[in-house]
Amino acid sequence: MKKIMEYKTWIGLAILFALIYWLPLPIYILHVIILTLLYAFMGTAWNLLCGYGGQLSLGYAAFTGMGAYTTLLLYRSFDLSPWLGMLLGGILSTLLMAVIAYPCFRFGIRGPYFTLASIAVAEILRDVLTTLRELTGGSLGLSLPYHPTNFWIFQFDGKKEYYLIILLFWLIAIFIVKNLKRLKYYLIAIREDEDAAAALGISVNKTLLCAALISAFLTSIGGAFYVQYFRYIDPDSIAGIGLSVSIALISVVGGTSTLFGPSIGALILVPISEYLRLSFGAKFAGLHLLIYGVLLIVTIRFLPDGIISLFSRKRLRRKNDETKKQSETKVERGNANE
Amino acid sequence: MDFFAQIIINGILLGAIYALISIGLNLIFGVIKIVNFAHGEFLMIGMYLTFLLFSQSGIDPYLSIPIVFVLLFVLGILIHKIILQPLLGKAEFNILLTTAGLGIVFQNLALMFFKSDYRVIQTSYSAAKIELFGTLVSVSRLGAFIVAILAAVILYFVLMKTRIGMDIRAVSQDPEAAVLMGINDKKIFTITFGLGVGLVGIAAAIITPIYYIFPTVGESFSTISFIVVVLGGLGSFHGALIGGFIIGIVEAIGGIISSAEWARVFSLLIFLFILFVRPSGIMGKNARV
Repeated sequence: MKKIMEYKTWIGLAILFALIYWLPLPIYILHVIILTLLYAFMGTAWNLLCGYGGQLSLGYAAFTGMGAYTTLLLYRSFDLSPWLGMLLGGILSTLLMAVIAYPCFRFGIRGPYFTLASIAVAEILRDVLTTLRELTGGSLGLSLPYHPTNFWIFQFDGKKEYYLIILLFWLIAIFIVKNLKRLKYYLIAIREDEDAAAALGISVNKTLLCAALISAFLTSIGGAFYVQYFRYIDPDSIAGIGLSVSIALISVVGGTSTLFGPSIGALILVPISEYLRLSFGAKFAGLHLLIYGVLLIVTIRFLPDGIISLFSRKRLRRKNDETKKQSETKVERGNANE
Repeated sequence: MDFFAQIIINGILLGAIYALISIGLNLIFGVIKIVNFAHGEFLMIGMYLTFLLFSQSGIDPYLSIPIVFVLLFVLGILIHKIILQPLLGKAEFNILLTTAGLGIVFQNLALMFFKSDYRVIQTSYSAAKIELFGTLVSVSRLGAFIVAILAAVILYFVLMKTRIGMDIRAVSQDPEAAVLMGINDKKIFTITFGLGVGLVGIAAAIITPIYYIFPTVGESFSTISFIVVVLGGLGSFHGALIGGFIIGIVEAIGGIISSAEWARVFSLLIFLFILFVRPSGIMGKNARV
């Protein structure tokens, strides 16, 4: 029964995506859909380490920045195809993540300390990008030379091609996260009780590191797509804390540690934010982000498990009961120890 | 030699400001265990309040210290009561992100009301300098230094000698035991949050004559205060002071040797290094948290 439901969902999604492609949608709508998919893609990547693994990072802009600048600089200097640049950027991001994540996990840096370390790394990258003016154009940013409609150099005239590419990326991310079943179980076990997970023979550091590397690689691909699509980047927008916080907020509002949570968050928040920007952005600077911020706070306050919990209330309630029971037994155990 | 003394004195003066900005953040983390990502934005609000008091009623920034303190204290209490308190004890994630969301809200409120213009207040002593140990020192920076030290000393005595200070320390050390001793922990949390935000208000009032005021001014100070606080030890009172002075001197020296951005990169690297080697900070009590 569950299988059939699942197939129905997938077929429905396939029809929807095909419709988006074939229907003559206004360009702006298609733009919002592409943005939504981009954020859904990055949120899904973020969710692997930060949702399932419970390690809250607010520094993922380091990887989007790394991916975007690597792709762009290699293309500008050596005419290297963005497809290859994207892979190289991904590898560099993975290395960067390894350099930061390994010591963090090795030395047991968790909770707010991990969050702060992740912010620091992103800020360092942003400062370095801003300072290397000869190479990156500093805070003025850098644009992508325009040579439209060529698959090899990842530039197209219309938006449909970008739509197909980001849709494919998103599907790949969903496919990866869906099929890393063992990794996800390990991550959840670590999130719920690290010592117990270690006692069961899960290698905590290795598991977290593995999730971190995959999620950094995917996020970096998102950054590379960003620069190909917008054709312009500057350190503040692609490597700033604002983007990091957006990725995290979208995932949390949608629902962390669920397969589709971040995508649902993107599906709801990105169009709202675009709509607000369009209606108020020009007249009242700041109003759209203000409303956006209030929406976020209200959602976190009243739907702490994310919007996705509305769809799976029953299952969630059962899960909550179980965790409650578990924590009760834990308390008993704790008392017995004392 | 004079040149060197000049750098060190500049660093110390800057460090006192950083220390005062960070003490509030540290107090809130030490007692409520919340990392307040809207910290810089509270500073920004304080700066705009000082600016308004100065431009509308002609109140000198130093005279507006108590007013800004009280206003931000009340704001902090309201924010804590309405928004943060209901989230306490639940997912740590959500509190962190709620404070980040608050930051977005405050920044954009400022953007709506004040636009993105850079404001500055011109006081009679803005450009004044006096000689100190053979070096020239800006009067407003010296004033900021004195107020920061005074505020830290007063806070220290409040925490050590008064009833409310003892309650705060008790809750910080062991919330459950404190509750069993008849301390209302919710009240203490609320007051601490108000106090932390109020202290940022004092910092805001004294730095308004020195820095430009604009809606995103809080961001850079936020980063610095996180560095300072982790360096000194999250939750440690002395740590915030020592961390403040270290970062102040590092930035002063770094700013001379290279650019301000490289100085910041350098402080961030020190921050990461301390985080890996000694996550509880220089003055922290526990080696691992």
